[in-house]
Amino acid sequence: MPLVAQQFLLLVGKDLKIEARSRQTIGLVMVLGLLIVVVLGLGLGGGAAGGFGATVVLWVAYLFSGVLCFEKTMAVERSESALAALMLTPISHGTLFLAKLTSNLALMAAVALVITPAGVLFFSFDLSAAPFTFAAVMSLGIIGFAAIGTLFAAVVSSTRLQGGLLAMMIFPVALPLVIASTQLLIHQFRDQLPVGGMGLGVLVAFDAIFLTASWLMFELVLEP
Amino acid sequence: MVAARSSSFFTETNPAPLALRAAGLGKTIDERSVLRSIELSVAAGEFVAILGINGAGKTTLLKILATLMPPSSGQLQLFGLDVPRHAAQARARLGLIGHQSMLYRDLTARENLELFARLYGVQAPRRRAEELLSIVGMIDRADDAVKTFSRGMCQRVSIARALVHQPDLVLADEPFAGLDVPGAAAVERLLSDLHAAGKTIVMVNHDVLQSLRLAERVIVLGAGTVAIDRPARVADAPGILAELAGSDARFQPGEMVVR
Repeated sequence: MPLVAQQFLLLVGKDLKIEARSRQTIGLVMVLGLLIVVVLGLGLGGGAAGGFGATVVLWVAYLFSGVLCFEKTMAVERSESALAALMLTPISHGTLFLAKLTSNLALMAAVALVITPAGVLFFSFDLSAAPFTFAAVMSLGIIGFAAIGTLFAAVVSSTRLQGGLLAMMIFPVALPLVIASTQLLIHQFRDQLPVGGMGLGVLVAFDAIFLTASWLMFELVLEP
Repeated sequence: MVAARSSSFFTETNPAPLALRAAGLGKTIDERSVLRSIELSVAAGEFVAILGINGAGKTTLLKILATLMPPSSGQLQLFGLDVPRHAAQARARLGLIGHQSMLYRDLTARENLELFARLYGVQAPRRRAEELLSIVGMIDRADDAVKTFSRGMCQRVSIARALVHQPDLVLADEPFAGLDVPGAAAVERLLSDLHAAGKTIVMVNHDVLQSLRLAERVIVLGAGTVAIDRPARVADAPGILAELAGSDARFQPGEMVVR
């Protein structure tokens, strides 16, 4: 196996092992996501917008859970300045970015597996018409969101700024992706208009832009 | 062994192989000049201590030497390799011991060392980790999480981490900070052993006497530049302390304490 692939797997394995031991992120993020679904569900009423409110509420839950997730996984690198030691090893910043992105995606996938059924049930959202479309649209949305989240988490941690700065930076940039994803799902489930290749293509294009830009910029923003 | 000071970065010939050569290094942070025209050459195998008051630029200089921070001006060569052009090759030959342990707290000592050994592409990483843990006297705690260690234990594992890829140059930023007397003695022994094994060591420290005892050469930074650069002799401690005191506006005559 090439050294780059080994390094990538080592870094992802390290992140997941640390998370499995500390359980610092996953529990907190799941509770936050579920709280958002429940609070918004109660506030809007279970059948809000004929159940399609679930897509919006789920995105709100993904966004806030994601921000917490990105902050926590980057904080592991900042603790005890481990990032400086990593940066001295012969790992490219691109590999470091892809590994951190993969770790974030793994955590977000675990969170989504819990939050999504909760949201769907709470809002009586009937997914049976196109469950795979729903999964594909949400997955593509989360991949793009995680790409910019991983980048901005590195920016915020490098500047030592805390608080809600990460959310303030990510949300405006992620907005087109969230709107596109939500619109596609509403067209699919409310208007019975299949998403089709064009709709998914838009999300894939967003992902490609976010992934490439974040991968290229990671080297510039990462500081020990 | 004292390397000749360089006035001409590219043309001077020096028979001693150099581990490190800096010419006109400067660093400006937030419009404040932290380092100014640092001229520094360190021969291979030399043990150099860098002293200075808080804010003198010691840690900034060490970060630049470790290739973790770009200088605002000047040039840096590590083992004849221009940085940042050949930073990756230079990094493979240096190890950094920092203020903090630079370890993952939720991993065990063995897992930390194996992780870094594998990232460096070290052959037989498990054996290398065990070998280093034995050297630093932590083999009995190899499978305990780093977060359960005392500061001294963390520092010993941190030294092992810095050596996992057998670097030729070891940069140590206040390796004794926060250590008790036995912990400091253990780290002193490790650094002395490294030096005896032929490693080049550049150490930032606050303890003048300890630095003079351990190192071959002492450099005092004052106002972001090299104020003193001379062979380390314990007898020179008063002069160095006076230099340090003179560069610290907070210092009041009569307060000088030789640690």
